[in-house]
Amino acid sequence: MNKIGIIISREFNERVRKKSFIITTILMPLLMIGMMAAPTLMMLFAKGDQKSLVVLDQSGIIAPNLEGDDEITFTPMDITLDEARADSNIFGVLWIGEDVVDNPSNVKLYTNSSSSMSLESNLASQMEKIIERERLKRYDIENLEQIMKDVKVKVSFSTFRNDLSEEGEDEEATSSSIAYMLGLVLGMMLYMFLIIYGSMVMTSVIEEKGSRVLDVLVSSVSPFQLMLGKILGVASVAVTQIAIWGVLVCGIGAVVLPALMPEDVMQTVEAVQMGQMTTIEADIDADLLSAVSLATDVGGLVMMFVWLLLFLVGGFLFYSAMFAAVGSAVDSIQDANQLQTPITVPIILALILAMSVFNDPNSTLAFWGSIIPFTSPVVMMARVPFGIPTWQIVLSLVLLYTSVVAMAWAAGKIYRVGIFMHGKKPSFKELMSWIRQ
Amino acid sequence: MNILQIENLTKRYSNHTALSDVSLEVPRGSVYGLLGPNGAGKSTLIRVINRITLPDAGRVLFDGKPITDEDIYQIGYLPEERGLYKKMKVGEQALFFARLKGLSRRDALQRLKKWFIRLGIESWWDKKVEDLSKGMAQKVQFITTVLHEPKLLIFDEPFSGFDPINANILKQEILRLRDEGATVIFSTHNMSSVEEICDHITLINKSRNILSGSVDEVRRRFGENIFEVVYGGDKDSFEGVMQPVAEMLSTAEVADSAYHTSRIRLKDTATVRESIALANDAVELRSWSEVIPSMNDIFIRAVEGKL
Repeated sequence: MNKIGIIISREFNERVRKKSFIITTILMPLLMIGMMAAPTLMMLFAKGDQKSLVVLDQSGIIAPNLEGDDEITFTPMDITLDEARADSNIFGVLWIGEDVVDNPSNVKLYTNSSSSMSLESNLASQMEKIIERERLKRYDIENLEQIMKDVKVKVSFSTFRNDLSEEGEDEEATSSSIAYMLGLVLGMMLYMFLIIYGSMVMTSVIEEKGSRVLDVLVSSVSPFQLMLGKILGVASVAVTQIAIWGVLVCGIGAVVLPALMPEDVMQTVEAVQMGQMTTIEADIDADLLSAVSLATDVGGLVMMFVWLLLFLVGGFLFYSAMFAAVGSAVDSIQDANQLQTPITVPIILALILAMSVFNDPNSTLAFWGSIIPFTSPVVMMARVPFGIPTWQIVLSLVLLYTSVVAMAWAAGKIYRVGIFMHGKKPSFKELMSWIRQ
Repeated sequence: MNILQIENLTKRYSNHTALSDVSLEVPRGSVYGLLGPNGAGKSTLIRVINRITLPDAGRVLFDGKPITDEDIYQIGYLPEERGLYKKMKVGEQALFFARLKGLSRRDALQRLKKWFIRLGIESWWDKKVEDLSKGMAQKVQFITTVLHEPKLLIFDEPFSGFDPINANILKQEILRLRDEGATVIFSTHNMSSVEEICDHITLINKSRNILSGSVDEVRRRFGENIFEVVYGGDKDSFEGVMQPVAEMLSTAEVADSAYHTSRIRLKDTATVRESIALANDAVELRSWSEVIPSMNDIFIRAVEGKL
């Protein structure tokens, strides 16, 4: 045991002191934030230059009511279509027929360059509204304006979980869109950790084998101890990284966010957290409230990180044992590519399954995906934010850690033979036969 | 007593046999040469001794008892290729290996300091291994091998990569360790080093032990009754008297003197004593010495099957 400790501490120290570790630990959260902000930013920058559209309105109803924005401006003109089309400096011409209210298809758009989906749908929806209003006017209703304002509604609702609530109080569930984001981040994180840290183990085994350090090491420790030490050493690096982020996120949630948010938001959030109020009753955007409420709920965050760590470590031990076995059997990383396919395929499959979780976190597929050890770490982490019964999480963990033991045993067998094999690259079949030896 | 006794070891891999029925005894305090062509089974034998692999049959006795996992603390192993982490600093690395061999951190540091000073490499402590030359790395590796003062040292081609000066330093250190009570096993192809420092040898070929014994005894055993005679006087009369007892191989005049040097092979029926007497009557004998084959000759003859 002591020897494993020495190996673990070497693996840990060597990696944690590396610049790359420090940099990724700092940059990853920024990258995550960047990724989440990316769609918004892209929309912002995707907006093209302002386009000017000449409107030739034969009906006289539409043109005065069209509203321009930063994407497009409307210029009503009184010229013929041919004249307007001859002008190549404008973006295009919108021709509206005289009978447009009765015949809404009598509209034509001529453009000098390709038009865009967003532009066309903008035009269509604006004109639909105007025509709708014109048609309503024909019924000659009194106080039409008032009525129109009055009937306009927007529905948003609070969701409650009967299965998670304690008696007598309503446990407001995390809104689906927030759970979706969180599940995506957690699932992706697990996926990346398994791949990155798993191949780290493999590369390091190949290096040790190539540099013959292994020959020296195995004269002091058994191959199994060596493999275990390496895997646990790398795992401790991963745990350290997650723990740093955990402390960071909890710190932001507990201290930074409450200080930055306006006071009334925080008061509402507290009320929501205490169960005195639902997100809808507040006069603040429900999704924002729900997000802030989640981010400042330190107890919940800690719980989330505990699950994350347990699944991360379990999943990592499970997969890295296989990565170590493959690494031991080959002489170079190139040779490893083919042999590691059986390892990477289930991880990728897990990510695909995790994506399907977002449609229905309680589907049969999602359930089994999060129970079977090959896919369970990634899929379960994607499910956890939706709030699932604790027994499922515990069952999944028990199964995962049991199969970790079996996997380590099998991998150890391969490793013991593999590290002394130089030259010919073994086939997958041969690897299997080493287990039985 | 023998520090290491190997009895009827057999090790088979799926498609070949690496060791078949190998037995040998390593006397305590000796320098033992393990010879053999590439792929003969030397590395497998060393691995079995190091308990890296287990044999299919046979056993290894260490200090008279079957070897256990605890005994590997008493063994130091220097592999042929430098097995060091390239990216790790020399000092940290040496400390790591020392602790794996069971030394406490404090003990290890103390001994490392001593050895680094002795080999004149104190200034390398904070260097990375990748910045060292092959010979320098080998020195570091040597220290990590001997640091825990093992009773048995196993060196695989220890002199490769060294310039003559450093090779000599290393040789002195190895002999000093032997004088301090350690037993040394050498695996090597370098026959001149075998003659210089080995007391005993075993020659392994095609997974079998084909020759074992002390170096002197082996060389004598391979002697072919060839003698070199230096004498003054008439060459023809020497050849004349030797005719009945020996076969002349070559004769040469010794430069700047009146002497001749002849190589002769005594016939099986003749004795050395009788032959000397015969020669003594005919010429003035200056020296009469047996020509013993070099280990190199013996190695080649043994491996090629001309025993």
